[in-house]
Amino acid sequence: MIGPDGRETYRVVWPRGAKAVQATDVAPRLSTLDGKTIGQLWDDLFRGDEIFPILEEEIARRFPGVRFVRYDTFGSTHGRDEQRVLAELPGKLRELKVDAVISGMAC
Amino acid sequence: MPSASLVCEGFRSQAATTATGLGLPGLPTALVPGHVDVQSADELRQNVAAVTVDAVIRNLTEAVAEVGNAVVEPAPSDIVIEGNLDEVNRFFYENDWSDGLPIVPPTPERVGEFLRWSPLPAETELGVLLPDQRRATVWNVAVNGVMAGCRPEYMPILVALIEAMADPRYGVEHSGNTPGAETLIILNGPLIKELGFNYEQGALRDGIQANTTIGRFWRLYLRNVAGFLHHRTDKGTFGNTWRVVLAENEEVLRRIGWTTIAEDQGVAGANAVTISRYTGGGVIVSVFGNTPDRMLPYLADSVVRKVGWELMFTVGMGVGSQKPLLLLSPILAETLAKAGLDKAALKHRLFELCRIPAGQFERYIGDWTNLVPGRPTLSSLVKAGVIPEVFAESDDPERLVPIVCRAEDLMVAVSGDPLRTNAYAFAHNGILGFPTTRPVRLPAEWSRLLREARGR
Repeated sequence: MIGPDGRETYRVVWPRGAKAVQATDVAPRLSTLDGKTIGQLWDDLFRGDEIFPILEEEIARRFPGVRFVRYDTFGSTHGRDEQRVLAELPGKLRELKVDAVISGMAC
Repeated sequence: MPSASLVCEGFRSQAATTATGLGLPGLPTALVPGHVDVQSADELRQNVAAVTVDAVIRNLTEAVAEVGNAVVEPAPSDIVIEGNLDEVNRFFYENDWSDGLPIVPPTPERVGEFLRWSPLPAETELGVLLPDQRRATVWNVAVNGVMAGCRPEYMPILVALIEAMADPRYGVEHSGNTPGAETLIILNGPLIKELGFNYEQGALRDGIQANTTIGRFWRLYLRNVAGFLHHRTDKGTFGNTWRVVLAENEEVLRRIGWTTIAEDQGVAGANAVTISRYTGGGVIVSVFGNTPDRMLPYLADSVVRKVGWELMFTVGMGVGSQKPLLLLSPILAETLAKAGLDKAALKHRLFELCRIPAGQFERYIGDWTNLVPGRPTLSSLVKAGVIPEVFAESDDPERLVPIVCRAEDLMVAVSGDPLRTNAYAFAHNGILGFPTTRPVRLPAEWSRLLREARGR
């Protein structure tokens, strides 16, 4: 087609793909961390092995009844085994009665 | 389950856009100030205690706003704009659908022409691509192929490429990682000649339509369907630009009795594409000598020099997943073959020669970087059964150790100027862009369509 300026015009289509997931709300939050079990997930990078103990210490100071399941329970969330680790995660979190998760490290 | 995600300061935008792509736009994150790599132990403790702990507690206990109404997006064949060439290009660029170079407007007619060359129907879903979780379809392969300036007859290759991109073994979701590695597409099979790919001088340089436009298509598809965008899901510190397709010189390979890359990957006797991400590389100039004993030490030394932090993929993340690529010009390959080396023997010779001192290896993985947790020694990894015994034949830090776990982990391809004694070594991004090969399926009418195309 020729436009009003004499130049050819093009009717063009969208280059993207349809989303395969719909946006969803995140899970409800906990009212307190006291008495809760918090799982740690680590991608084996960026000093998570130093950071998680600091978090444990500081959170336990404020919420004495909190319990942690350490990251080595689950395996690394990044690398060769990540797909297996993530696939096994829901079952393990249920089995270990984990109430919340801290996941790192995005650096 | 409520979660807190620990995010260093420069990665909050990536975290937000990746979470949105995954369908969780409200996913809370907990800030880790600065970057942990440059903080002393005390600084790290102070930052985590002062900032991150509170953020984690908020993440886990404070309500998150509900997701609003879904954004309405076009349907695949909706017309998104009608305009002249400048207007279309500006619209696409402003919507982040273009790389800034002029695109060929993807009209339904042009897309339809590409679809005639597809081995699969337009609506076929090839996979769902992370991080944006969008459907890769034959239709949107064609759209991006048009945009990139590909010819319609490249369509079977484009489809195979996206099948490979969607293969979980490849790991497309890592394409925005900070090393900024870029994919190299290697093409094998009769299509090299049928479609006019360059496999001789300038094999890695833009300027030949088939090699160049398909390389550009790959990056456009990563942008538009996988969802990798600057300053958002893409965190390549520097990045690389897309690479042209590398076509092997199969005449030479057949003549000297060496296997192709596709055959090495287990796909024999067919057109095939192999994708792999390389962090960088460099040319090896003027290899001198007419015997393996004269030639291989220089080639091996050059491969070793290109590999540094990537050693983490040999002994750490994805153990054994590091697969450097050595690209030989045909004259080098012919000279080595004349001396009696087939590809397997060449790889074994290189495995013996591509060695660095153990202490140097350990510096790369746990001193100069912190990429293998716990800063293990190679001896401790051997003792734990993680890596082969060849890495700990003694405790001498000067003992020479290989850079890969097995000879087969070294990949060798043949292309480039047939009569110049240069080679090229690529360093590999390991598990984060693992070599993945797919056969290229042709439509039933391929021969007739190709005859028609050649007449145009």
